[in-house]
Amino acid sequence: MIKKNVILILTDIFKEIFNNEDIVLDIKMTAKDIDNWDSLTHMLLIAKIEEKFSIKFKLKELSNLDNVGNLVEIINEKI
Amino acid sequence: MVFTSFEFIIFFLSLSIFYFSISIKYRWKLLLIYSLFFYGLIKPIFILILLFISIIIYLGSILFEKINYEKYKFYSFIIILLITIAPLLFFKYFNLINQYILTFFERPPSKNILSNSWLILPIGISYYTFMAVGYITDVYNEKIKAEKNLFMVMLFISFFPLVMSGPIERAEKMFDQFRNNLFFDHKKVIYGFQMILWGMFLKLVLADNLSLFLNPIFENINYSSGKTILLAISLYPFQIYGDLGGYSLLAIGFSSILGVHIRINFKRPFFSTSMSNFWRRWHISLISWITDYIYTPITFFLRKNGLFGIILSLLLTFLIAGLWHDATIPFVIWGLIQGIVLSFEAITKSSRLKIFNKNSLNNNIFFKVCCSIFVYFIFSFSLIFGGPFESLNECLFVIEKIFFNNDSFSYNKTELLKLIILILIVLFLEFKQEYYPEKLKLFRNKNILIRWISYLSIILFIVLLGVFSNDNFIYFQF
Repeated sequence: MIKKNVILILTDIFKEIFNNEDIVLDIKMTAKDIDNWDSLTHMLLIAKIEEKFSIKFKLKELSNLDNVGNLVEIINEKI
Repeated sequence: MVFTSFEFIIFFLSLSIFYFSISIKYRWKLLLIYSLFFYGLIKPIFILILLFISIIIYLGSILFEKINYEKYKFYSFIIILLITIAPLLFFKYFNLINQYILTFFERPPSKNILSNSWLILPIGISYYTFMAVGYITDVYNEKIKAEKNLFMVMLFISFFPLVMSGPIERAEKMFDQFRNNLFFDHKKVIYGFQMILWGMFLKLVLADNLSLFLNPIFENINYSSGKTILLAISLYPFQIYGDLGGYSLLAIGFSSILGVHIRINFKRPFFSTSMSNFWRRWHISLISWITDYIYTPITFFLRKNGLFGIILSLLLTFLIAGLWHDATIPFVIWGLIQGIVLSFEAITKSSRLKIFNKNSLNNNIFFKVCCSIFVYFIFSFSLIFGGPFESLNECLFVIEKIFFNNDSFSYNKTELLKLIILILIVLFLEFKQEYYPEKLKLFRNKNILIRWISYLSIILFIVLLGVFSNDNFIYFQF
């Protein structure tokens, strides 16, 4: 799966978790750029990503996430 | 030696003179010497705890980088973590567990294994232990590199502005500052003095006057009417805010003068529009530490359980936070109240947002203020369990009195009026900062006259109304 596809699938997941159809993901985006992306919704998002891509994150990987780009990189490494 | 004492001013002055007259590369070493001296003044033997934790996390973090095999690395992390928190657990809970055991075996207290002087909680042990845990976890997670200089780690753990009560800082920020930022910067010095001035006001004027008014009520609940207790509980959040918020500003201010930037610990908490928003503004350094090192691992472990996993994580996290404050039933209840309210907010979040958006309430200041008042009273109520009363019986007695005792108010009216005026001053200034940050600037006004009138007014308040006999801070006990 190439990066662009990952972003497309991720966008759908973000729309579903944050209940917002207008989200357009960019690799530079952080939690500050998306309404309601806080510590409560973060793990719901992670669980959904794991389910959709059939992957498993390590806690260590999550503590180093700075932006959507990092997330895409980690997903790309795992799929 | 507390920040508001005369001795501390002498200590800080002597440090500053010395500090800025030596080369920048030696300054962090001087800070270390002064920090150990500062902590040693409480009780010299306590320095050993600082040294012990520093050495353990120094060796542990270097070890993590040497081990390549993931499983061994994890085991060594758990061992280092347990050794790091062992002194905190010992001092905080040994006495309690020992008492339970003695009660269970019906042995008299004189048979205590260790003398009581051994069991006094070393001031600040929670805060520097949390900083140490944050450091080793970050190195283990490869978020930061292990520090190769033991004395630098020691300074991180013992840095005197933070050692007694936080704010709980992160290693990645501090090491870099200790190496590169300890120069004289007049902007940082001015900012430091402004923080100290406002911190002194919050502590000596607001918190300590409230303490003089509220403590007699809390200590004599048998003789206070239900209405008086209700009034006292309603004012109590301002006392804690003035106390810990004031202390934090002093820590930030003194650090800033030395060139070290410390994160803010309170961000106008009484203007929170929800409880989750409140916990992003109240004791920020502790809550962000708890989020990163307690809540996140728990919620990660429970992530397959959806919203239920989030709720369970919230309840467990606040239960631990309650037990950290004190291993008593009231604090467990306090933690559960917070956990339940936050869970309710998490469940109703999307429906609440829809209603707010539909009725354009998000930018309605009146609505926001109403929400803030509601949040304030929930927090005040929770403090019946997480505040001045020690036993569950006392807490229940207080609630019973509030609801069923109809005796009239009994308090000093002039004193109450003074306190309400002080609270209104704080609320007015924070309301302006919250909703109109660019209007009526005082400390940051471009006009020097307005700046100095502001400084002098605060100094006048401190001189005229400050309470200088109280050298205690509420959060030292944790």
